[in-house]
Amino acid sequence: MNSAFMKAATSLNNEHVAKWKESGRRVVGYTCSYVPDEIFHAAGILPYRIRGFGAADTTIGDTYFGPFICSLPKCMLQLAGEGKFDFLDGAIITPGCDSMRRLDECWRKAGGDIPGSLPKFFFHFGVPHKYADYTIKWFAEETRRLVDAVEKHFGVKVEDDTLRSSIRVYNKSRKLLDEFDALRTADDPPFTGTEALAVILAGTTMPREEYNGLLEKFIAESKKAKGISGKVRLMLVGSANDDVELVRVMEGSSALVVADNLCFGSRFYTDLVEEEGDPVLNLAKRYLSHNDCPRMYGDYKRRLGILREKVKKAKIDGIVLQNIRFCDLHGSENGLFERDLEKEGIPCMRLEREYGPLVETGRMKMRVDAFIERILQGRREIA
Amino acid sequence: MRQELKEYRFDWMLYSCFSSAARLKSGSEKEYRHSMNYIPYFRGTVESVLGAGEPGQKFIELTAKYLDNMINAKERGLKTAVTTFCFSPAIFYAMDIMPICLEVVSVMMTFAYKRGTAEFLDYCNEVGYTETSCSSQRGSIGAYLAGLGADIDMIVTDTPGVCDTNANAFAFAAAYLDKPFFQLDMPPDLTGERSDEYHREDYKALIAFLEEHSGKKLDLERLRANLIELHKQDEIIAEIEELARVVPNPLHVAGNLIVYASRFLFAGMPECTEVLESILRQGKENAAKGVSGLSSGTEKIRAFFCYIDHYVQNLKLWEMLDEHGVGYQGNILSRSWASSAPHVQEYGMQEAAYTLNTADLDGLIDGMAMVNSRMPMIKSIRGPYDAPNMWLQDTLSLAKMYSADCIIYNGTPGCRNTWGMVKLLARDTEKAGFPTFVMNADAFDERVQSWETTRDRFLEFLTVRRLI
Repeated sequence: MNSAFMKAATSLNNEHVAKWKESGRRVVGYTCSYVPDEIFHAAGILPYRIRGFGAADTTIGDTYFGPFICSLPKCMLQLAGEGKFDFLDGAIITPGCDSMRRLDECWRKAGGDIPGSLPKFFFHFGVPHKYADYTIKWFAEETRRLVDAVEKHFGVKVEDDTLRSSIRVYNKSRKLLDEFDALRTADDPPFTGTEALAVILAGTTMPREEYNGLLEKFIAESKKAKGISGKVRLMLVGSANDDVELVRVMEGSSALVVADNLCFGSRFYTDLVEEEGDPVLNLAKRYLSHNDCPRMYGDYKRRLGILREKVKKAKIDGIVLQNIRFCDLHGSENGLFERDLEKEGIPCMRLEREYGPLVETGRMKMRVDAFIERILQGRREIA
Repeated sequence: MRQELKEYRFDWMLYSCFSSAARLKSGSEKEYRHSMNYIPYFRGTVESVLGAGEPGQKFIELTAKYLDNMINAKERGLKTAVTTFCFSPAIFYAMDIMPICLEVVSVMMTFAYKRGTAEFLDYCNEVGYTETSCSSQRGSIGAYLAGLGADIDMIVTDTPGVCDTNANAFAFAAAYLDKPFFQLDMPPDLTGERSDEYHREDYKALIAFLEEHSGKKLDLERLRANLIELHKQDEIIAEIEELARVVPNPLHVAGNLIVYASRFLFAGMPECTEVLESILRQGKENAAKGVSGLSSGTEKIRAFFCYIDHYVQNLKLWEMLDEHGVGYQGNILSRSWASSAPHVQEYGMQEAAYTLNTADLDGLIDGMAMVNSRMPMIKSIRGPYDAPNMWLQDTLSLAKMYSADCIIYNGTPGCRNTWGMVKLLARDTEKAGFPTFVMNADAFDERVQSWETTRDRFLEFLTVRRLI
């Protein structure tokens, strides 16, 4: 395992961010995978996926949010209030879900109460909930509005050619991650699910060219490494997870998370952006059509199809369908997945959890272990 | 779910309750009193609604007719669409589609049964739908998921971009029941060229969907007739809202409930107009006499509900307000955003209002798209609470206009959206001088917090803030 990935994945203001800032360059954070990184890359700004990782409590989050709200945005606000995101020069809030979109108001109000906690550039980026000609048009306009705002605030110019070049850099990443995914889903994967998540998370927190270089090296080394065999192969599905420790707890000593369908996971890098033509329109098309999130209503069957394909490709033994409490979108869709996939003989386990400091690892471990036991029992019965 | 609940279709049972209630006053007073002994749990609701006089009687007849239409839709050659309270039903009526409004059906059950919708709420969880989801849809959708309601042909909602848990309820039901699904999606801004175009194009896609799944082309004349009726209803509502400004408020304490429920069920249809006219008539009579709509005739304070009401059995919320002399100044559900509405004119909110143009198809579609995008919640809960035309602006302007002494928030724990910003809203309304109370109850599920606790906390607020 390349330790650079694990380090980048397990600290907020990691050495790459610190180095970037030392050179006088800007960092803009965003909360959702519907925000095109390429825009910031083209503007010479480091795009940074905001996380709630490392929050020790939610006292600040609870001051602004009500009680029936997902703990992920609460942890993000907590960290912002504690000054952990002071390195951010800007933040983009999207309506990924209702809890996350209200981070807009809560962060702004906290910014008024806690001086310095609100980045100077603060932007609400709308994202439609369906894919149609007129929604792409609207989203392309919204993307242009974001480009204009970035240009104006940071005094930069995002030229079409520069944007196309950034698209190529990110497409390279996506192709490399496809190679990485092939290794991850192989019969004897050369790395654990914990390490895999670290590789993916690191990409959200470091300069892309540097990431691509490290990723190429990691893939080359992995190809030569000895594979891990004899483990129960799990797929992790559901709410956002940016915590490698959660996967470590699930894997324990007898399982391996060899695939996922998470927005901090494989959903983040599948599908390329068209490289020719209007780059803003191309970005809008890719980011909106890449709708594996249940926020895109009415598209359940397509998402079920994606899971089926992954189960087949990665030879999955069982699926952990997890959701953060109050995440009704993933929680409910997990109920449908369970019904439909169990009918096809694919063992599924639904798991509701809290995010961050409230995570109950003991309970979770016990449930996952019981699930693994169920899978092993099934194998014994077949044998 | 208990076996006996599965023995009969839930909508037939509900129809039976409301159609019987609608006939209760057709006999003598003695017969009416005697009948009450046979409906110990439904009695409180019936007496509260009928206690509102002619509007109450007409309203209960309206609900019975709605349920009759719902259970007999197929026999009458209509298609059925499960939809939501904030979706104007005028378009469905113009296309021979019977709209089944989940939230109103949930309220009918909480009003009629001691058990409320508890077992249907729980049934949703049994089949995989989250317990943290909003109880307003869950209460009735559970019955459909269990196969206990009328056949559904399609599922249509307009809350994406406004309320995840609402939209998710419809998306879940569509996937679970394998029914055609359509969503009207809402951009974060209410006004502006981009939003107008988005609303319009989305509405055209809705019409195409409805035509495909109903097998009928949109009848322009019927839509025009419904919009003309809708316009007439808006004019009446504007007069009713104007009456509510009078001190004391001459409207019956449950008048607003009757206004919004009638609109949710029959907007654009003469049935709704009749009820509204009756409320207006009664309000004018009271205003002429200078009396309050409260049963004591004395209004001590005026409360504005900035979100929704509490639908526990027997209309206990309204009963409590009435008993303590609290004038009910409406909530966001009863608001009309027609250009004629008093608050639109008073605060220069013309940009946020809708206008109806019945001249041609484009005008009709534009009008319907605007009406729909200004429905309760759809209008003011979509963007940041403190953005123009959104929740804070509406709440403060309405509370001022209706001379409210306090602002009350009530919702459901499933309301991710308002719970994400209600603390901020309350902070701002308090700063603006309105004592504000955030109720921790569930409007549709008394098991979350008993009515007795809810009532005690409410009264405690009024006492501590020296409002009564």
